[in-house]
Amino acid sequence: MATTTATITLASTDLLSDSLSLSSTSTLYDAGTTTGLTQYDMGRVVVPSSDTNSILIDATAAGDDKAARVYVANKNTDEAHYVVISMNGTTIGRLYSGDWMFIPWSQTDASADVEVYCPAALSTTCIVEYAVFHQGKTFSAA
Amino acid sequence: MATTTATITLASSDIADNAISISNTATLSKANSTSGLDKTSGLRRRTLAATTSVDLIQLDHFQETGEVITENTAAKVYIKNIGTSTAEHVKVCIGQEDADADTEEIGRLYGGDWMFFPWAAVWTSADHNSNEDIYVIPSSADSVTLEWMVIYE
Repeated sequence: MATTTATITLASTDLLSDSLSLSSTSTLYDAGTTTGLTQYDMGRVVVPSSDTNSILIDATAAGDDKAARVYVANKNTDEAHYVVISMNGTTIGRLYSGDWMFIPWSQTDASADVEVYCPAALSTTCIVEYAVFHQGKTFSAA
Repeated sequence: MATTTATITLASSDIADNAISISNTATLSKANSTSGLDKTSGLRRRTLAATTSVDLIQLDHFQETGEVITENTAAKVYIKNIGTSTAEHVKVCIGQEDADADTEEIGRLYGGDWMFFPWAAVWTSADHNSNEDIYVIPSSADSVTLEWMVIYE
């Protein structure tokens, strides 16, 4: 068993009339247990310019209804550059340059991939970093 | 203009032979801009005690109050299950309620878990079923409390 933690801090002195300072830490467990997740995959990719979703993180049967956590960050620096993040064809939202996201991932079926595209209208590629902490995945046959 | 930062740290000293430490800070800006996001729902809390689907973040609510979330921009959502049960969870879904084919389960928040993600916030009409709302479905009828916040333009 491993111990992996995820901490978020949201801070602002001027979004509200009082300062915002929110911090939360969770420990990443297997589904329904207090056993820590023991597997992960990480990567850095250059997403081509296209309006078609591509699979960033492939859902597999072994992950179905298990615990997984996904981190994605857009590492471009131009404020106009964004990537669109979807799951199974449903748009979640846009990650602009410097933005990141962290979500639990159900992998409800093999189509529940985490998908990405870097819009063609931007005429650029987008650098994306990602990590997925999980309970297991189905390996493809060689 | 406001300056709001979101920092994440992912850390483990024993998930692999070498320690992992990922840290990243985002300054939450408006779409195509360096100006900061300047609107928020504020931090809200909702307690659920049934296994039925609940429209946790309703786009139409923002429309009705004049606090329109501009769709397909840079809105961010934070949700936390502040419970302590690691056996029970809350499913978090995006899409149209009662239209299973158009609703996607993103993931499951167990007690203590949180999530932070960009939200396209696509509003179509005053009918909740037409919008890309955020729904939650508890796994148990036991009381569970969620905290959530939207930061948007």
